[in-house]
Amino acid sequence: MNEAKRHHPLQIAYDLWGFIKNTFFIIVILFVFQAGSDSWLVKYGRIAFLTLVAVTIIYLVFKWFTNKYTLTQTAFVLTEGVFSKKRKTVPYSKVQHAKRETKLFHRIFRVTSISFETSSQGDDSSVTFHVVTPAEAIRLENQVSQQNAGVEDADQAVVDSVDETKPGSEVESEAETGRIVHFSPTKKEVIKASFTSLSFLAVIPILGSQVNKFDDILPNDQQAEGMVGFILDRWWLIALTIILIVGLLMIGGVIWTFLKYGKYEIASDKDKVYITKGVLEETAFSITKKNVQAIQIQQSFMKRILGLAEVKLVVAGALGDDGADVNSLYPFLPVKKAQQLVEEILPSYRLTDSMESLPRESFWFRMLRPSWFWIIATGVLFVWKPDLFGLSEYWWAFSIILLILIVMSRVLDYKHTRYTINDTFIQLKTGGFGTNLFLSKRSSVIEVGVSRNIIQKKLGLASLATVNRAKPVLHTTMDDVPVEWADEFLAWYQDRNQEIELK
Amino acid sequence: MSESLLSPNKKLSKKAVKVWRLTESLSNVISIIVLSILFYLDYYFSWVYWIGWILIGLVVIGIVGGIWGYIKPGLLYKHWRYDISEEFLQLKSGAIKEEHQLVPMTKIQSVSTKQGPLLRKYGLYAVTVQTMGSTHTIPALEKAVATELRNTIAKYAKVEEMEE
Repeated sequence: MNEAKRHHPLQIAYDLWGFIKNTFFIIVILFVFQAGSDSWLVKYGRIAFLTLVAVTIIYLVFKWFTNKYTLTQTAFVLTEGVFSKKRKTVPYSKVQHAKRETKLFHRIFRVTSISFETSSQGDDSSVTFHVVTPAEAIRLENQVSQQNAGVEDADQAVVDSVDETKPGSEVESEAETGRIVHFSPTKKEVIKASFTSLSFLAVIPILGSQVNKFDDILPNDQQAEGMVGFILDRWWLIALTIILIVGLLMIGGVIWTFLKYGKYEIASDKDKVYITKGVLEETAFSITKKNVQAIQIQQSFMKRILGLAEVKLVVAGALGDDGADVNSLYPFLPVKKAQQLVEEILPSYRLTDSMESLPRESFWFRMLRPSWFWIIATGVLFVWKPDLFGLSEYWWAFSIILLILIVMSRVLDYKHTRYTINDTFIQLKTGGFGTNLFLSKRSSVIEVGVSRNIIQKKLGLASLATVNRAKPVLHTTMDDVPVEWADEFLAWYQDRNQEIELK
Repeated sequence: MSESLLSPNKKLSKKAVKVWRLTESLSNVISIIVLSILFYLDYYFSWVYWIGWILIGLVVIGIVGGIWGYIKPGLLYKHWRYDISEEFLQLKSGAIKEEHQLVPMTKIQSVSTKQGPLLRKYGLYAVTVQTMGSTHTIPALEKAVATELRNTIAKYAKVEEMEE
């Protein structure tokens, strides 16, 4: 088990596929657009490109031969590099979470990819296997979690992961490991979710301008034949087109949402949380419960209207390119369900409903604070006077609308802002049109700060800030709480040693 | 108005005020030189009229800034406090905006003393503490104090927390 292994042979094909993707434009130019060209530039270009392909293939084969990995009792040991050798050791104990991605490429060859993220900075912060067989991915994941959970759980962990090739096996393994599926969206929920991405509505103004153009195309001599009849005709046409296009967009939205969020599963067992999603390209994210640094429950304006919320787990490891998404429990959870899920999945976390709201003083302080954004925007509008919808004289109207929006957002923010310390937890809620609730344990907060400017001092207010491990670190702020509470907060934080075990 | 919150009680070196004023004077001298050159060029090449206005604006800002720069070090010194215990590093600073920081020793990743040419002239050191999330600097301490502080922090910060 401990000898050095080469990566999967398909790694070569995977890298080659990446190379082709990167040079796609060159290929298209050389071999498609200029297919019939006899120019020397194209000719030599092709020769150079084919040489590059040949060299790349040879390099990739060598790379496959030299790159090896070993799983020791406690760490990954990776040997890399064709010309300059590099050996890196990443202890399992540093791994914060694992992410398995099965892209289309992996689907075709029945393989998968897996990456283990640590909280350290720089290039060596993660260990990624771009191509592995599902069985090997499970072995890797188990090796890591075995080490982290203590050896006694070792046998249990083997059955732990879902084997996608045999859908039937899932049920059996559930019973054995205590893995519970907490949530999987129903069709109705997916359709509801697709409405939150109201992006398709943004197309309507564009549609409007298209209709205007359409107008110009219509023959002019029909004007003679009575305006009324013509407009009637045209309205039919317009209505029909709009219905058709909106319909298509909605179907498109539903399909897109289904592909992204249709097959979604939130599961957990004693130690870990598993988030699996994606219909065509699957991502499976797993994190040890104790590595969750904090929880965020977010609601955009749309989601608030529909009563939905998104629960995010704040994690210390990197999240990758599609970072915003992988650490999210289903982004369209009904609010009640979201809170219930948090307590089910992370029983050591406590959400409370009884939170304090801001004092009166902070309302006026917040309302009277100058909005630099509005001042600058008004300045820009005054100078530029944009010709939006041909309303350039009414630039001041835009400024007023903006002011109303800002004031509304501030009033809402004042109303939404809540804070509380609940035993060893801090729970902060902020937000105007959308809201964000932050919940963290005292032991996971790595630093705190309190600040107050002269006016806050006079009013007896203070702003506080917490820092949590994440990539990049998560700063959470809470403005204009009573200074007494800020005091309590600092005292609370100074008692953090009560929960801390020292090495 | 409550005077509670954290109240660490160690102060910076008194010489800090001198260092900051010296820094301020140096940067003022540099901006005076730059501005004079610009004024000369403006006059010599007779640039567009509004450039002259901008330059005058800069002079006004420079004068106000210069005066503030002379008052600021005193205030900064008066309000800067720090303290350490076995568990926490406490920092407090700012007259207009008062800031408190509370950093657990176990989360400190590195601590260093640094000295620029001006600090060296007065035999002072700056102590910089780095955590996972941010960097905090105690700007001017006597050499002996700084070294001791650095060593103490290093000692306390060596303790590691179990990742709970």
